[in-house]
Formats: sequence, C-alpha cells, structure tokens
Amino acid sequence: MGRRKVLLAPLDPVHDVGLKLVQRALDAAGHSTLRLPPDLSAEEIVSRAIEYEPDTVLVGRTLGYNVPEVLARLVDLMEAAGMRSRVRLGVGGMAIRPELAAELGYDRGFGPGASSEEALAFVEGREPQPPAAPQALEKPDLTAGYGYLAKDREVAASLEAIAAAAVAWGKARTSPGVERARLRRRILEAEAGAERSDGRISEPVDELRAAYVRACDPPIRAFYEGTGPPGKTRPLSADEIAALAAAADPVSFERRQVRHVRARPRVFVQYGTGCPVMDSVHNRVAEAWGADGLVHFDPSWAARTEGLIEGHHSHEEDGTLLTLANLRSIGRARLSGTLWQVRAHRGLNTPETVVLAAAAGADLTKVNPVYGSLGAGTDPERLVVDGGECLSLAAAAGLPLDVVTNEELCGVPAGKAFAGMLIIAAMAVHQGGRPILQPLFCLSPDVMVTGRMEDNFVDYNMAKVIALRQLYDAPIWPGAPIGFLTHTEDRVQSATSTALHAAIAASLEVDAITIASADEAYSGGSIAAASRVDTLLATAEAFRFFGSARVAPTPRAEEWAGELVAQIKDTLRQVLERPSLVDALYAGVLGSPADGVYPGRAGRGTVRLR
Amino acid sequence: MRAIDRVLDAIDLETVLLAEDERSARRLASQLARELGFADADIVALEWRANMARVRIRGYVHRPGHHYAWLGQAAR
Repeated sequence: MGRRKVLLAPLDPVHDVGLKLVQRALDAAGHSTLRLPPDLSAEEIVSRAIEYEPDTVLVGRTLGYNVPEVLARLVDLMEAAGMRSRVRLGVGGMAIRPELAAELGYDRGFGPGASSEEALAFVEGREPQPPAAPQALEKPDLTAGYGYLAKDREVAASLEAIAAAAVAWGKARTSPGVERARLRRRILEAEAGAERSDGRISEPVDELRAAYVRACDPPIRAFYEGTGPPGKTRPLSADEIAALAAAADPVSFERRQVRHVRARPRVFVQYGTGCPVMDSVHNRVAEAWGADGLVHFDPSWAARTEGLIEGHHSHEEDGTLLTLANLRSIGRARLSGTLWQVRAHRGLNTPETVVLAAAAGADLTKVNPVYGSLGAGTDPERLVVDGGECLSLAAAAGLPLDVVTNEELCGVPAGKAFAGMLIIAAMAVHQGGRPILQPLFCLSPDVMVTGRMEDNFVDYNMAKVIALRQLYDAPIWPGAPIGFLTHTEDRVQSATSTALHAAIAASLEVDAITIASADEAYSGGSIAAASRVDTLLATAEAFRFFGSARVAPTPRAEEWAGELVAQIKDTLRQVLERPSLVDALYAGVLGSPADGVYPGRAGRGTVRLR
Repeated sequence: MRAIDRVLDAIDLETVLLAEDERSARRLASQLARELGFADADIVALEWRANMARVRIRGYVHRPGHHYAWLGQAAR
C-alpha cells in the first residue's frame, strides 16, 4: 500500500475536531494530508481539491441543518469538476448517518462513534482492524493484602474476647439448620460417589434425604413427599432448562468498562428476578455493561422456612430460589472473570446456603447473624449458632464473606451496627475466614433523625469508612446497594444518586460496591434489564468524570468518624458486660426496640446442646 | 420473527403528558398504555408539575417466569 494523499475538509461553519483526530491518525500512518479550515463553501473545497489533487477527500459535518443539501452539492461539484471518479469520498461527523451518505453518493459514511481506525482503513482501502479480542478477566481476590488486625488495643482485646466466646458458645450447640447443612453436604458427597469429608464411607442418598426431610417445615416436606412445590413456585420446563444450559456455552464479547483509571472499586449488581433463565440473561446484560460481580437474591419467605427444595424452579415474585440446580446453572452462565456472591446472612437455612454456594462454585458469601436476628426476623440464639456454622463452612470452603449492616435500615445507629459487624468479622477470622466489612452508604432512619445528611450525602458516608479504617485492617465493600433510601422511581435521579455514591466509594478506594438498578425504588413489578444498564452507565460516567480526583468531604466527616469510633467502642464494652453475644442481642445492646429493631422469632426454641 | 419477540422483558415509554392534576395524569398514562397495546402495563414513575406530567410507563412483554418468545436465543 502506497502513501495516500488526503484532503480533509470540514463542511461545517465551526466544527473540525473529528477531522483533526483523523488527520493525526493518517499522519502517524505516513500519509500526506492537508486539512482545510472550517466555514468554506463546497465550491471553495472543490477548488482546493483541484489544486491539491488528493486521492481521497474526507469531509466532516456536525451541525444538523441542511445536511443533505450541503453534502449533495459537494458531490455534484466534484462530478462537474471531473474528479469524482478519481477521488474516493468519505464523510463523517455527528450529523452523518451511513445510509444518508450512501444515498447521496459518498463512498463511505462514518456516523457518531466512528473511530479514526475506520477512517484510516477507508483511506487505505482495507477493512478496519477489529478491536482486540476480549481478554479473559482475572478474578480478583477482594481480601488480598489485608491483615485483619484491630488497630486499637482496646478494640482488639474486646473483639478477641467476644469472638472467642461466641464461637465456643455456638460450637457447643446445634440446630435444625446446622443439621440440614451437614446432611446436605453428605447428600452431595454421596451423590458424587465421593468419600465423606470425615473419611467415612458414604451412605445411601435416600436415607440421608429422609433424615433431611424430617428436619424441614411442612411446605418443604410436602415437596419431597411429592405433593408439589411450595406456593408461587414451579419447576422449569425442559426448554427452560435447555436455555439455561445454552447460556453456559462459552461466549466472547467486548465488555464495557465501568472503572476508568482506578482498579477499585469492583462493581457488583444484585439479581433475583425469580426466574433463573431471566436471571442468567439479566446477568449477561450486567456483564456486558461492565459489572464485575453478581449477587444472588433469594425470596424472603424462604428465609423463614426450615429446609430448601431441590431442582430447577422458578418463583413468581422477587427472589430466585436457592437450589443447587438453580445456582449451578446461573453460576455457569457467568463469565469466567465475574465474581459471584450467594447470600447466607439471614434466616433458617444459612449454613446450608453456604454448602450450596460452595458446591455451585460461588466466589463469595454473605453472613451476619446480628443483622439477621435483629433486622430480618430470625431468633438471635438460633442465628448465632447457624451463623457460627456459616463462618466455619465459609472458611473451610475458602469463601470470603461480607458482613452486611442492614440493621441500620431499621433504625440502628451506624456505630452499634458496626460493633456487631466487627464482632462477626472477628468470629470469622477466629475460624480462619476472610471477612469483608459492608457499611451502608444510605439515608438511614438514624441519619434522618439526627440530620446528618441534611447538607450532603458525602460526609457521613465517608465518616463510616474513615472510622472503620481507624479500627480494623479489612477490605470494605459498601452496599448494598449504595445510596439505599436515596433513590426515587425516577430513573435519572436513581441512576445519578447511585453514580454519585459510587464516586464517593471510588474516592475512598474501597474494594467493592454493590449498585442498584434504576428500578430500586419501583415496587410495582420486576426490574427491567434496561434499568440495570442505566446505573452501570451512570456509574461508569462518574468514574470517568472523577478519574483519579477525589471527592472532598467537609471537616464534619472526621468529626463524625470520631463519634462512630467512640460509639463502636462503647457498644463493644456493653457487649463484654453481658454473659454472651446472644444475651447482648436479646438485651438490645447491638440494636434495641428504641432504635427500631426487635429480636426475631423464627426458629426460636430450636437450638440444643450438642 | 417479530421484533417484539426479541424484547427481553419490558418496554419503557417516557414522555410528558398534559394533565390538569396528578390523578388525571395517572389515568391518562394508563389509557396511553392501553392505546399502545400494552396488555400488562404499569406506571413506573410519574411527576406532575404545572399541568404537565413527566411519566415513565412500562409495558411488560415477558415477566420473569412467563414463557419467553426469545427462549433459546438470547441466552447464547
């Protein structure tokens, strides 16, 4: 291919940026170029073309008025000058559509978003080089580099004492949830024909399953006895199962980038439409628009029912059923670099959920007995036992877990919620686990009452992260989702609020965030895939806008961080004064009826000594 | 192949309606959804000001768990 001679002419009163970029690419490729100034008439451009004798003319047009007339005039004049047959003619710019260019007699039209490479390829008479093949994303370890050491001597001593006692207390007890988790593990081992993890020979699956069913509530027992699935659920059809299997076929596509110059935070989205097929497609949408991770949402009723059903099932309402078949199918449909979290933070099936999460290949789980027992309706005694088992199972499976503080949404002040979070994190570390702290970036009831966000949403959210970092060396993953209770049904407001909270998170360089869809505040129906794109695009725009710049809080952020540290320490002291963590939960030390939370009742009276 | 069979889940329509109050704006939005042939529609967002309402109407084509016309295609 020889050196080409290209005339670049803005057929526009002012705009020529696109042509400047194209000229730079042409010059770099060794071609000879001449770029004319804007605001020349078609006659003047043709006159200069006659003098310059190019083999290619590229014109640009941004303004949208009289476009067909102006472009057609240039073609007519070039034909009249006898040069149209000798010169290749291309046109690009915001006002150009390829169909219009072809209709007017141009050899090529480049619309908005066209690259310099496309123009260069046109000049050189070749096909544009395709974008680099998408690289397999490396799955990050969100916990890498953290030592899990309390940075304050008093906090270190408090957490160690409380965590050691709570773990020992839990290990001395068991529950139907713990027993079912162990049975499920044995069922999976028996089905796989593998030796039991304790080295004993595997037992008949039927006997194990019969024992499992005896430990379930009636609706789940009815499922195993053949009466049918629980209400509002149905088995997937063969076509649906085939579609799920097809979703796991390897794919390669260019993934949009959410993050810009910073490696953190990784961006997670929540899914749980109720249908695993729809989930897998929604997740593909989220991945295509740049999500780094996916969080599985299960139905709330399932958390209050002893036992889990099996097989591929769809659920009519929000939340996708926790079954190994559902999880495996959804998990296999994700890209290899996508992180995947299955939550086990509340309810009566938490230990079994960790077993299923590990068996399905999840990367993360979520555990917090304090929230689950104060804000999600499960009995504190039961959930400390089950939660302790979760932490042990997660550690054994190598699953990092976040410790969520959603009790703040019920009204518990952040300092109290953080004390509970740090206790559970310390319990996890005590058992060899890798916890991730999950403060909420939210407009909580406590914040509304105290007026801490009347001026801005920046200071108090930043104060939370500052306080936690002063006390504990652990990864931080604000959620879930960021901006909780700031969203409205308006998608622009909702996406903007998410993006701005994401900007705070990026400024703080936290490890991950969970973002909502733009349907976060819409409760009338299921989330639409387009609404997932809205917040991913908005978050990407916030990251692009701020780059490596930071959001600056006012001095109040440091003041409030100090208050939070004091509140955390005070709460830990009060927990230490109680006979046990469970007693502290019943007594309201980590959140009381005055705050807005009540010890849950589901599963009460089901714990027994081993 | 109909294009609507390739709609993943829902079609959102955003517009501004002329309406004397919020109640009539909601009624008009529902009517508009019916006129456009949305059998399963909902008003996701509506803000009324100055005799006008910015509205976002959602017509569900495929609710989760229903039969998807795209089944076997889009997941690939």
